[in-house]
Amino acid sequence: MAILSINNLSKNYKSIKALDNVSFAVPAKTVFGILGPNGSGKTTLLGIVMDILKVSGGSYKWAGDLSTDQMRKKIGTLLETPNFYHYLSGEDNLKIAARIKGRGEADIPKVLQTVNLYERRKSKFNTYSLGMKQRLAIASTLLGDPDILVFDEPTNGLDPAGIAEIRDLIKDLNRQGKTIIMASHILDEVEKVCTHVAIIQRGVLKTVGSVAEVLNTSGTNILNSVLIEISAANNDQLKTVLQQLSGLETITETENGLEIICPENITAEQVNRFCFDQGIVLSKLNVKRKSLETRFLEITGKQSDR
Amino acid sequence: MFDLFKIEWLKIRTYRTFWVLFAGFLVFFPVGFYLMAYKYMEQIGNAKTLEETLLKKLLDAPFVFPKAWHAAAWTGGIFFVIIGMLFILLITNEVQYRTHRQNIIDGWSRMDFLKAKFSILVFFVAVSTLLVFIMGLIVGSVFSPSTAKIFEGVQYVGYFALMATLYLMLAFLVAILIKRTGLSIIIYFAIVCIVDNILWLIFTLKETQVGYYMPLEVVDSLVPNPFKPKVLEKRTVEDYTLIIAAATYIAAYVYIIISYFRKTDLKT
Repeated sequence: MAILSINNLSKNYKSIKALDNVSFAVPAKTVFGILGPNGSGKTTLLGIVMDILKVSGGSYKWAGDLSTDQMRKKIGTLLETPNFYHYLSGEDNLKIAARIKGRGEADIPKVLQTVNLYERRKSKFNTYSLGMKQRLAIASTLLGDPDILVFDEPTNGLDPAGIAEIRDLIKDLNRQGKTIIMASHILDEVEKVCTHVAIIQRGVLKTVGSVAEVLNTSGTNILNSVLIEISAANNDQLKTVLQQLSGLETITETENGLEIICPENITAEQVNRFCFDQGIVLSKLNVKRKSLETRFLEITGKQSDR
Repeated sequence: MFDLFKIEWLKIRTYRTFWVLFAGFLVFFPVGFYLMAYKYMEQIGNAKTLEETLLKKLLDAPFVFPKAWHAAAWTGGIFFVIIGMLFILLITNEVQYRTHRQNIIDGWSRMDFLKAKFSILVFFVAVSTLLVFIMGLIVGSVFSPSTAKIFEGVQYVGYFALMATLYLMLAFLVAILIKRTGLSIIIYFAIVCIVDNILWLIFTLKETQVGYYMPLEVVDSLVPNPFKPKVLEKRTVEDYTLIIAAATYIAAYVYIIISYFRKTDLKT
């Protein structure tokens, strides 16, 4: 069952198409990643389903019979930046959010403890660090124990420990049966926590599906492929030699050498020995599992959109 | 609506700027008005040579019933610009902190947001009107020789409420459309202090009554300067037509605010 259905959604800012006919559905109880470069339309998409932006075309629908306003009360959302009253304490800010959601204030100490802000609950918001502001925003999304959570770049501004905590929190929420919609430009983040992914570029939906599906839709069986970064003193010669190695899927020239994609049964050792036998000594050999990153770059191209 | 007001109250109850400006109105208006009345009556009291003129002046004096209500409404209107500024600030703050987005994200409809702000408007109008009534009563009682005509002219308190509502609706409109605090306040003051008066002056110099229908002049004319001698008053349009005009303006502002805010993208 789809928690959220998006149908031919378009959004224009004057001549710029921020979203162009985007359609997909978010299945229940998934961690659904919306992945795209900066400025690709992720936040615009979430802004529309949260009613802070108006559509230029198309529609969206949350599951159930509630009006979209009533539905939003039952969704925990962090959009873009933490938005709070600077002169109020963290606790008072949460009181306002809880009242708007029509929930009691009983949850507040619990959610503050979840994000490790309980000790600073009486401090004014403008005295918080960036990471604390982000954690307060996450605490706010947990008010009322919602079944759906929407996170836009949830680990923004957090230190490495904070990032790990939030990822664990998201996974934990998912294990409790909650649906999580998460926008991110950090592939690693999506790969580590998401079960499903939609890739958006310049407002156009490039692909959507479970992470395994998305990884497998290219010509090669990426899940079972290995990416090896490789270089030698003479990379042109290296490339010529490698073309004779049977079983290689692709060879791509990069700034610092070559990237080859090969089946899992070809090991780094074999590649190294093959080159050595052909008279080339490798200066670099780095094995990476082919991942969402490679797939993402295949889909979106290597140029940044900006 | 009251539930929305309670949430708005949570937002402002510990906001220092709110208390400074609100208390500014609550203190400066009554004290200023009372001192003004006291000084004025003292001066008249000293001029004992021409008893008849004195008596006449006293009867027509702005701080004596029935004119005390008029004077209280007019003076309250002068100080009310503080509230106009405060109201703009409370709306543009939401845009600046992006909390208008968060309120909607958390489940308010766009109309809920507007109604919540309108509840603050009602609060400001109610409190200030009550204060005008109290001050009219106090000053009138203190300085009037008799309290026979005590509630004659009390309609000026009602005119004040209408004036306060229209001024705040204009502030509401400016804040919603302009979004930026500083610019909104500048534009608001430009309309209140300059634009409206210039328009009025141009029309009045042309010997037409149209000037009295300018957006704020409609209510300003209902409560003219009580110190202005009657012979200088050029207005011939009736009070009730001005009241209808003011109500029309309020309805127009409400319509523009609602239709704009329901359709707009909430950006900063």
